[in-house]
Amino acid sequence: MATAADFLLRPRSWQRLFRVAAYATVAALAPSSYGPAARELAVRQVYLSAWKVLPGYLAFTALLSVVLIQIADGALRAYGLAPYSLELVLRVLVLELVPLLTVFFVAFRSGTAVAAEIAVMRVTGELDDTAESGSDELRGELVPRVAAIALSVFALTTLGGMLALAITYWSYFHTSRAGFFVFTRVVGTVFDDLVLVGLALKFVLFGAAVALIPIASGLEAERDRMKSVPAVVLAGLMKLVLAILLIEVVVLMVKYV
Amino acid sequence: MDPTPADTGGLAPRSMGVKVGILLAVTFMIAIAFIGYVLYARGAFETFQRLTLVADNVEGVTVGMDLTYAGFPIGRVRRLSLGKDGKARIHIRVPESEVRWLRTSTVFVMDVPLVGGAKLRAFTGNLQDPPLPDRAQRAILRGDANAEIPLMLATVRQALENVENMTARNSSLQQSIDNAKAVTGRMAGKYGVLGGVLGNEDNARKVIASIDRANALLANLGGVSLKLDAVVAKTDLRLYGASGIADETQKAVAQANTMLSEVRDRLNAVDVILADAQAVGASAKTAAANVAGASADLGALRGEVEASLRKVASLIEEINRKWPFERDAKIKLP
Repeated sequence: MATAADFLLRPRSWQRLFRVAAYATVAALAPSSYGPAARELAVRQVYLSAWKVLPGYLAFTALLSVVLIQIADGALRAYGLAPYSLELVLRVLVLELVPLLTVFFVAFRSGTAVAAEIAVMRVTGELDDTAESGSDELRGELVPRVAAIALSVFALTTLGGMLALAITYWSYFHTSRAGFFVFTRVVGTVFDDLVLVGLALKFVLFGAAVALIPIASGLEAERDRMKSVPAVVLAGLMKLVLAILLIEVVVLMVKYV
Repeated sequence: MDPTPADTGGLAPRSMGVKVGILLAVTFMIAIAFIGYVLYARGAFETFQRLTLVADNVEGVTVGMDLTYAGFPIGRVRRLSLGKDGKARIHIRVPESEVRWLRTSTVFVMDVPLVGGAKLRAFTGNLQDPPLPDRAQRAILRGDANAEIPLMLATVRQALENVENMTARNSSLQQSIDNAKAVTGRMAGKYGVLGGVLGNEDNARKVIASIDRANALLANLGGVSLKLDAVVAKTDLRLYGASGIADETQKAVAQANTMLSEVRDRLNAVDVILADAQAVGASAKTAAANVAGASADLGALRGEVEASLRKVASLIEEINRKWPFERDAKIKLP
């Protein structure tokens, strides 16, 4: 019986992933993919992936922001580098940590669930072997989920980023409006062309990874073998984490190296 | 696949759709607002004036760095380039709203501290000068703390060598300190600072003995001066007292004056007699009868003159006797 590590290292498994990704991208761009049933599935997926986790996610983001801002600002002040503190906090917190936090939130909450769901459908025969070659079942089941999870990542990252930005402003200037020009100037410095391109690229790649990898892994479950489900779910999660970290490193290299 | 009750929390699809719709709408609104804010922060809605600063070296300057005036950012570095003349150029964009701080007389300075990035500063002495034109090109002065370090190190090394020479075992400073130590050691001895200054205890003892003798001498001198005081007081009394020498001399002088006036009177009388005698002599032959009477008068006159001269002589003798300092008892006749 194949273990999770086997799935992770098997070249065929990565080939399947890219095939599903290519198919899902084409299908997501076709208007015919969005029927009433697909829309309902997508709404339910967004509700589960984004709306239900929103309070906990925002609370955790706020806590992380407050703690990190205190640490960064205190350390930089101690070194006499206070003028760089705000810029550093914006770069580290809003640009890097909040998107990473979001994608892990969605990956662990929705990615595993979706992978298990697809794997069970595969075991019970609801999705047949022809699925990955582009059947209607696949289009009906996969495309709404991929789109919904990508949207969830985008929504959570945007809201979390704004909350972190607001907390940053409050930490430095409280409710004073006097800090607005200083803050705006630093925001203008931090969010230059390259950073905005990098941020957009990260949104797209994170959304795609979280949406596609669990589904493609789920499709690897073997028919009538229920025991293969945990292995493919775990392999999907491992692939996802690997992919997220690789994306983060590549985007950082594009921005700063 | 149908949603299970556990998945949806038992909500009807319609309320779920509304919530998801609200979430996505708010998200897109925030995203658009944020993009607008970032564009505003980057000055997308503002017009700019360009300024080029020329420097020998732009090490430490980065794109996005601020140009400050009085500590406030008024412009931002957009681009760095190297000109054909080998000089670096810093291209800066200044918003129209901040251009008023830059005048034709503005001086630009690049400050490179030891820690942290370089800083670009503008100094305007007179804000009434004509404004800086668009696309102006100005030289920038560079104040580099790093460049000073090698020079400073060389100086410090030389100073340290000097200090080392001064503190070496056989250096003159060390010898001076040894001498000072010897002197202070003697100063700590029985005769204190005196012993330190004079070299050894014998000399110091002699000096102290001399001082003792001088003290004794001074005490004797005190006694002598007391005696002298008494002598002076007595002399004073003898000289200027109630019947002292000065007093007596004054009386004698008064007496002498009286006698001298008497002598003058007598001499006047002699003059008159001599005149008479002349007249008498002229008619002597004719008046021989009167000769006997005249010679009798001359005899009496001579006796008076002699008596007067004797009085004067005795007076002068008396003065000479009373005046102790005149040793030579000469008598000068008038």
